[in-house]
Amino acid sequence: MKSVVIEHLARVEGHGGITVELEGGTVGKVHFDVFEGARLLESLVCGKRYDEVAPILSRICSICSSAHSLTSLKATENAFGVQISPQAELLRELLYQGESIESHALHLFFLAAPDYLNFPSAIALAAAKPDAVQLGLRLKKLGNLVQETIGGRAVHPVNVVPGGFGTVPTIDQLIELRTALREGMADCDAVLNVIASLPPTDFCHCDTAYAALLSPDLGSYYPGDEVMLVNNGDRSRVRAADYRMLANEQSVLHSHAKHSSFGGRPFMVGSLARLTVNAQRLTGRLAVAMQRLQLQLPARNPMDNNKAQAVELVSDIERALHLVEHLLRDGIKDERPAEVKVRAGTGTGITEAPRGLLIHSYTYDSEGRITAADVITPTALNAASMELHFRRTVEQCAEREEAVLARRLQMVARAYDPCISCSVHLVRRQ
Amino acid sequence: MKPLLAIGIGNRLMGDDGVGCVVAERLAGHPRLPECVEVICGGTDLLRYAGQMEERSRVVIIDAIEGDAEPGSVAKFEGGCSGLDEHQDHAHHLSAVQAIRLLEMTTSARCTLLGISVSSVAVGTGLSPTVDARVPAILDRVLQELDGAPSDSRGLP
Repeated sequence: MKSVVIEHLARVEGHGGITVELEGGTVGKVHFDVFEGARLLESLVCGKRYDEVAPILSRICSICSSAHSLTSLKATENAFGVQISPQAELLRELLYQGESIESHALHLFFLAAPDYLNFPSAIALAAAKPDAVQLGLRLKKLGNLVQETIGGRAVHPVNVVPGGFGTVPTIDQLIELRTALREGMADCDAVLNVIASLPPTDFCHCDTAYAALLSPDLGSYYPGDEVMLVNNGDRSRVRAADYRMLANEQSVLHSHAKHSSFGGRPFMVGSLARLTVNAQRLTGRLAVAMQRLQLQLPARNPMDNNKAQAVELVSDIERALHLVEHLLRDGIKDERPAEVKVRAGTGTGITEAPRGLLIHSYTYDSEGRITAADVITPTALNAASMELHFRRTVEQCAEREEAVLARRLQMVARAYDPCISCSVHLVRRQ
Repeated sequence: MKPLLAIGIGNRLMGDDGVGCVVAERLAGHPRLPECVEVICGGTDLLRYAGQMEERSRVVIIDAIEGDAEPGSVAKFEGGCSGLDEHQDHAHHLSAVQAIRLLEMTTSARCTLLGISVSSVAVGTGLSPTVDARVPAILDRVLQELDGAPSDSRGLP
């Protein structure tokens, strides 16, 4: 029995890895070990007041801090029966689009592209392809501007509060945003050119189940409270309040992350899942983008999640511009947050974070303090699916050279854009 | 050129990992802070601040550092942070060292990293007592750097 152990997934993870057992041509165990920090952070909010929760839990992740803030507020508002205004709903969606632009640009240009081109890091990519890196930086800056304008700062937003927003953007700020987003639209072709030019990655194929929020207007990340699972043409719906049925978490001995499955099958969440579940949105510019990237749904290759992120990047800029134009056309109202009347109860919020379904569920006492909290991240939901795709990658690889296997497995892991150890940020001496 | 920029990064939910943010917050209102310095209290992704680094000649980054040095001591790194591990430990953002090297390639800013040695990095709000007690000395060292005073890379005793 030969074991291939990838203890340190380059640019993926410092607290886990992949273990593959091989006996001749037969693949034995395939394990993906994960340190899941979010679960430990849940304990920090028990006993906290309802208005302290989102600022704390936004710190789970620096890249998805708006997603955690907004999902946290959605859960809290659901627990108290708070209805936010249509304008607040629209602004929250705009904030989410900004985060998605920033996150997808970071992942595609600084993390995934070096994998495809066999560069050891984004630094090497910057030396060889400075235009691609500058494009990525411009898009990140655009996403940050949206988040600063709506959320009050680029990371860990301070302007989203229970019931709505602390302040609303001014007309001048929205005009500045519109100008920047129009410039961003001009970069969309370049995005597709870069992604379309990457070498093909046909080393993992299998039937895959997908789960994503049913988007009321097909392309949004924030509204909606029903998840759809697509599995070989079968479609199932799960309401937010029944999220445990969706997650169906099982502990596994080899990983700190529980594994999720629905109907006995792992499922994938993220960009590819969103496009699959809300496929009616793929018209016009997005249909052209799909064709340009040769992306067909339902996909059988997890690497296609990178292409799906590129399609979403184009969609995000277009939608953010549409939302800003809508606000400018209808006029922005200087409204206060909706009143929050605390009561004992449980509320669940599900949204679409850049890397997939994000679930926050809280139970409050009658004084508005948390007695129980549950946070399920996209990477936790994806863990079983990742392991399945790692297995297929090894099974479908004719070579048994460790370096070849390791590179392919790392690229598949990267395609999921996993959030594993992002709760810690340390520099180490060599 | 815009003023000198100081960015404190880290995660305040992970004990001493958040020391860069704590220092940045205290720095922002400090009477000794030179007028020509802007301060950002950031998260864990340094690349997020690429836009703010444009048109700066110098950026000072304050971050937690892991190693054998005494907790709360401050070490200075320049010139691409040689001597520091650039390994990517994060799923979806670059390590601080990688981000510094990339930003030095793509912007005009020269980066100085002030690394504060940690005692404990684990889930929890607040700094460890050891590092917390050193915050006034750390602030003094950072202010020296921002004030343009000569500095060395030996760290605080």
